Amino acid sequence: MESFKLTLLKLQDYTLLTFDIFKGLSLFKKYWNDILREMYLIGASATRLIFFGGLFMGIVLTIETGHQLDEFGAKTLVGRTVALGMIRELGPVITGILLAARTGAKNASEIGGMQLSEQIDAMRAFGTNPVHKLAMPRTVAAVVMFLPLTLIADITGILGGMVVAKLSLFVDSSFFWQQVFDSLAIKDFIAGLTKPLLFAFFISTISCYYGFTTRGGTTGLGKNTINAVVVSCAIILLLDFVAAKIIWEFF
Amino acid sequence: MIELLNVSLNLDGKQILDNVSLKIKKGDIGVVLGPSGAGKSSILKMILGLWKPDSGCVVIDGVDICGLKEKELLKIRRKMGIVFQGNALFDSLTVRQNIGYFLYEQNEMESKEIADLIEEVLTFINMPGIQRMYPDQLSGGMKKRVAIARAMIYQPEIVLYDEPSAGLDPINGKQILDLIKKVRDKGSTSVVVTHIMNDAVSIGDQLTLVNNGIIVENGSVHDILNSKKEFVKDFFYEIFQDIELLKKEQLV
Repeated sequence: MESFKLTLLKLQDYTLLTFDIFKGLSLFKKYWNDILREMYLIGASATRLIFFGGLFMGIVLTIETGHQLDEFGAKTLVGRTVALGMIRELGPVITGILLAARTGAKNASEIGGMQLSEQIDAMRAFGTNPVHKLAMPRTVAAVVMFLPLTLIADITGILGGMVVAKLSLFVDSSFFWQQVFDSLAIKDFIAGLTKPLLFAFFISTISCYYGFTTRGGTTGLGKNTINAVVVSCAIILLLDFVAAKIIWEFF
Repeated sequence: MIELLNVSLNLDGKQILDNVSLKIKKGDIGVVLGPSGAGKSSILKMILGLWKPDSGCVVIDGVDICGLKEKELLKIRRKMGIVFQGNALFDSLTVRQNIGYFLYEQNEMESKEIADLIEEVLTFINMPGIQRMYPDQLSGGMKKRVAIARAMIYQPEIVLYDEPSAGLDPINGKQILDLIKKVRDKGSTSVVVTHIMNDAVSIGDQLTLVNNGIIVENGSVHDILNSKKEFVKDFFYEIFQDIELLKKEQLV
């Protein structure tokens, strides 16, 4: 009962933090430089990670499905499988999980460290709302940057798949691309491009929440950083399921 | 004037402060001292309005700040500067950005004016020319002085110090205490929280001894050193020992 109450209290705090972030959007102009810096840290500097994450995911997907399809004499369909798999599911999810680890850990440890060293108190003492100054720019930056990063993962995944399909399965590249374009519909893009926005919002707000609630020195900081990453990853998988269900049911 | 009236505070089921009443006169250095975990820093955070008491009230210049909203509190906080125990300098900002943080955030002054003020406070703390340095390039004593400069930039009427000389060597510690006196001489009221009794005795106009969230003794240095309470005697044991030694030397 006690832990249930505690969970409800945490949810309440998280909801209040989220509302405060929305309120902070009115200070968009004031914190523009902070938003730009976060866009670079969260987005631009994660490009390499996402590039290789997407590339290898596409390669593995092609190898695994290609050989299975080959058994039924349908290896030419590999382009279709890779395109749908990357655009609808693996692109957003792999980007989400990689960024949950990277951005989630960054946000929780940075803000948590500031909490422990009283920098958050100092901000409040000097009249700054720390949620507006720290969480709002991170959330805006994440929502803006996750979409192009997911596109990078999608494209590199399909390109990796194409190369492997040509070299390992001997599927002609033009045929591969024809399969890719024939198989993709508008709803696949809606599914693939809506998810990163949701993932970005939740990764950023959850990790900021864990940062702000850090207590108990370095042990607490470590614990909250782990929690930020674990909860973000769990939420990504849950949201992916919910989004997939909604898209299949209603579109 | 700063007043705490029957203030109690409970955090995570632990009684931090229990019916604490305290008054610090304008222009004085009020020292709150006591062992670690006695509730000293909580008093500072309540004066600043960062924490609200469960009961009782905190009055700053006649205004009860406990019922105020964050926006209204900001007006009161503009009267105060604080030096945190761990300095709380922003790691990602330079000394200039740290010291001018409040003024840059408020965006009410020209950059040139802010730069001049920063120069002025850096000269006051005797550390000119370090504007471009980052906190991790400074020593402990330098960081403390920068934290004092940051607290002073908007010439607050009240300056709060949390363990200002803790962890510093005696020379740096003395420099910080001198700086606190210098700030007082400019007309600010100061509240210093410390567990170092020699510091308390050397700078305090008014001393308040706290233990387990309650005030054990309150008064001038003379009142405290003449207290008959056992805890006071135990806490000031080293000072009493020094006094005894001096007396013996004089007799010899």
